[in-house]
Amino acid sequence: MPFKIYVCVKHVPDSAANITILDKTRIEEKITFIINPFDENAIEEAVQLRSKVGDAEVVAVTIGKPAAVETLRSAMAMGADRGIHVVTGDPPDSIATARALKAAILADGAPDIIFTGKGSIDSEGFQTMFRLGAALGVPAANNVASFRLEGRTATVESELEAGGRAVIRMPLPCVIGAGKALNKPRYPILPDIMKARKKPIRTVPMESLDIGTPPASVQLIELRPFSDRRQAKLIPGPVEKAVEELVRLLREEAKVI
Amino acid sequence: MPRIGVFIETREGRIKPAMSGVITAARGPNHELYGLVLDGRAADYKAQLQAFGIHRIVDVASPTGPLGWNPDTWARAIALAMREFGLEALFGLTSAMGKEVLPRIAAILDAPLLMDCLRVDVEKRTAEKSQFSGKTTGVFKLNGAHCLYGMRPNVIEAIPAPTEAKIDAFQAPVTEGALIVEALRLEASRGVDLTEAEIIISGGRAMQNGDNFRILRECAEVLGASVGASRVAVDAGWVPHSMQVGQTGKTVSPKLYIACGISGSVQHFAGMKTSGVIVAINTDPKAVMMQHCDYGIAGDLFEVVPILTRQLKASLNHG
Amino acid sequence: MNKKYDAIIIGAGVIGCPIAYELAKMGYKTLNVDKNSDAGLGSTAATCAIIRAHYSTEDGVAMAYEGMKYWKDWENYLGGVKDEKGLAKFMNTGSILLKSKGHDWRKVKKNYDAVGVQYEDWSVERVVKAAPVYDLHEHWPVRRPEDSEFWNESTGMLEGALYCPEGGYVNDPVLSTHNMMRATQAHGGEFLFNVEVVAVRSEANQVKGITLKDGSQFDAPVVVNVAGPHSFKINQMAKGVWEGCNIKTKALRHEVMHCPSPEGYNYYGDGYHTSDADLGIYYRPEVGNMFLIGSEDPKCDPKVYPDPDDFYAGKGGAGEDNQLSEAQWKAQCYRLGRRVPTLRVPNQPRGVVDLYDCSDDWIPIYDKSDMKGFYMAIGTSGNQYKNAPVVGAMMAELIDACQKGLDHDANPFQYKLKYLPRSFNVGFFSRKREINTNSSFSVNG
Repeated sequence: MPFKIYVCVKHVPDSAANITILDKTRIEEKITFIINPFDENAIEEAVQLRSKVGDAEVVAVTIGKPAAVETLRSAMAMGADRGIHVVTGDPPDSIATARALKAAILADGAPDIIFTGKGSIDSEGFQTMFRLGAALGVPAANNVASFRLEGRTATVESELEAGGRAVIRMPLPCVIGAGKALNKPRYPILPDIMKARKKPIRTVPMESLDIGTPPASVQLIELRPFSDRRQAKLIPGPVEKAVEELVRLLREEAKVI
Repeated sequence: MPRIGVFIETREGRIKPAMSGVITAARGPNHELYGLVLDGRAADYKAQLQAFGIHRIVDVASPTGPLGWNPDTWARAIALAMREFGLEALFGLTSAMGKEVLPRIAAILDAPLLMDCLRVDVEKRTAEKSQFSGKTTGVFKLNGAHCLYGMRPNVIEAIPAPTEAKIDAFQAPVTEGALIVEALRLEASRGVDLTEAEIIISGGRAMQNGDNFRILRECAEVLGASVGASRVAVDAGWVPHSMQVGQTGKTVSPKLYIACGISGSVQHFAGMKTSGVIVAINTDPKAVMMQHCDYGIAGDLFEVVPILTRQLKASLNHG
Repeated sequence: MNKKYDAIIIGAGVIGCPIAYELAKMGYKTLNVDKNSDAGLGSTAATCAIIRAHYSTEDGVAMAYEGMKYWKDWENYLGGVKDEKGLAKFMNTGSILLKSKGHDWRKVKKNYDAVGVQYEDWSVERVVKAAPVYDLHEHWPVRRPEDSEFWNESTGMLEGALYCPEGGYVNDPVLSTHNMMRATQAHGGEFLFNVEVVAVRSEANQVKGITLKDGSQFDAPVVVNVAGPHSFKINQMAKGVWEGCNIKTKALRHEVMHCPSPEGYNYYGDGYHTSDADLGIYYRPEVGNMFLIGSEDPKCDPKVYPDPDDFYAGKGGAGEDNQLSEAQWKAQCYRLGRRVPTLRVPNQPRGVVDLYDCSDDWIPIYDKSDMKGFYMAIGTSGNQYKNAPVVGAMMAELIDACQKGLDHDANPFQYKLKYLPRSFNVGFFSRKREINTNSSFSVNG
């Protein structure tokens, strides 16, 4: 039995994209989507682990609209062996996502380890990896900055506040949320991209998965454009005078110092 | 009378400054507020917690004493406390610690959780948070037996509401499970975490190298500020990733954000656009940051910042 | 009383500034007006600022080669003027034109010989020696990655390249424009920023001046349209001018990508500007050891013509108009990946999107108009940055000659180049011309 590494990836709007709200809860999706940047670190770590373990397989899993297949292709170009695409309409919340990931992974095989990014840059929910761990009954560590596997024990460093770290030990299987400091993702060269075009993707309709009836939900009821009410005040004059005025404004007008 | 819990984050025997705003956000006309303290020093915090309206302080510990840091045991202990005291909602901070603990509690309880909230309506069970790199604000409805809210630090102004608090001890029967914290490495940690800082001074591309961040640190010392950086400065290896503000770094919302030589990419704004007051110092008056700040000085940061440090030193001494 | 000038130039980009500079040197009292807050902040800010000599016509080559001489002699051209921001720098990387079916390089070679352009004929081995990361397999015709044939293995090889050692790029196009503004100001020229022209006033078919959005008016017997992607809108404001052009201009959306150089290769320090028509792209080094990848607008690529005002206001179409698109990111990076097989392509697009002021035949219009005193230097089609100082001198002389009575339409003005010993017929750039079928109909001009 090969060692099974699953990597959960998400198809998200490019952070540079203009977001246009269409109706109350939907955005115009004719914009550039990319693989969630933190998921790149997850893939990289999975691929490095595969080469250390030897007899191992990296499976990328995504939940999303049909277009999310592009993100699976990106993950496979970066080294994943194959993909599972759980196809949905509107994006499910973290609770349903974790249940669907669990169902899709267990239907595929018994995971030895699961990697995710430490968060997604679109919804920034910061919770799916913990819910997935709880659903599977396995430990989870997030914002991981270093990872080591000895036998069936994973030792990770999880980033705490202000640059501090906690050294955490967990038995396999476990869920690892990759942070930026974990590694430097190696982007694909054209031959990798060509190979990825031929790697298999299994498509699973969300409705076909048994996720039960979640007891709770988080429901988006309205999206509003962020309005910046700031009026930029450029302080003119020679530097010494301008700084003097700035200090006065911060003290008397803004009252922040 | 709804019972609302607040996960009180502390550091070295002090309640984190951003907690007062979180307690303020959790208050409601007839809420009974429970402050959950896990470091074993509940009594030390009584005066401060009751000043902001906490009615009951729950001293959460294991049967053998205070719980050492382990996000997994902490989460299980808090989940048990929530059941024990019938808390229908829990507030916390979207800090490094909050991001470790709150989602674990939500996972254990199968409860809805919204992190990085800008505003919460406990009665309606709705909350707002940024979506899509801060370009939109989403309003969410939470459905479930318990609702969890992680507040973005410093977005809610702290307003005192004095009351009298009572301390309850709660012994949670939890022991370390599969997840074991072997060690804490805090040697690299410096000062207040960016996400909780009240004042931040950040440097970007114009800093040119890591050594030059010294002039920001000098200014930060005078202001009691933390030092941040843009992605350019981190990618160039000038400063560690833990100092990065922005999309793939930290989301911050200090009272005062001073951007030095940062042009203002969408990704950087995503991490700091809800700051109270934004000051931009940039040689290019057309830089995006200069157009979306509150106060801007068009000038070379290497000239402006030392003058600012000197003037602040003088003015804070007299003030 | 409206303020009076000898010449008003609409636009303070890389073409508008040198025209003002040359007119000011001739004694004209000039005013440049621009929507942006400083010189060179419109589409000039997004130019790749390539300095190369290969064009599809002999005059095109001559003009570009002449332009190269100016860039190499920048300080002198500016008359020793000081700019507090410093001077733009010509980065002399050398310029490789790959011989391929996508580019009629024989024509270029003939033009090089006729003009006297310095060049070397390089074999495949010589190219690879200079740029060891290049793989010179042939991939013609240009395709998109969505087309499964894009992925076919190559069977042939390219023939080599024409190498022009004098080529390169300018490191900071905005700064170069700012430099020319400072030089203009040193001769009394004035600049007005953050203003929008809403009317071009005339009387009895003689231009009188312009009116700005805030209602203020400025008068001049000469008004020059150098409005870049907005040029067609300005022409439409001047009675009869747009109708009098046989060649029209419009704003074309264009994306330029920044992709990191393969590890271990210092493209920024050691690389060459390269025109690669076999793959429909060109590339040059960019700060941060990046490949800057431009597109030669192959036929298979979609062309989008947004409204320039909407585009710059950031609300074009579905919100993607002024952001890089994933499909084009892949197209341009994967094409380069064919030439540089060790290139690693990030998932997140990085680069620049802006507008070309594109003419029907991708050749500019440097001309008078059907309205007396109204001139135009438009339709630069993404390929005139390198010529800007030449265009400045040529337009100034053309304007001066026409104001003194020359009938340029009947007897086209002959412009004498300053560095090269030749003249050329400015009628080549006439608005009345038929579409020039010699053109490459691309950024190559």
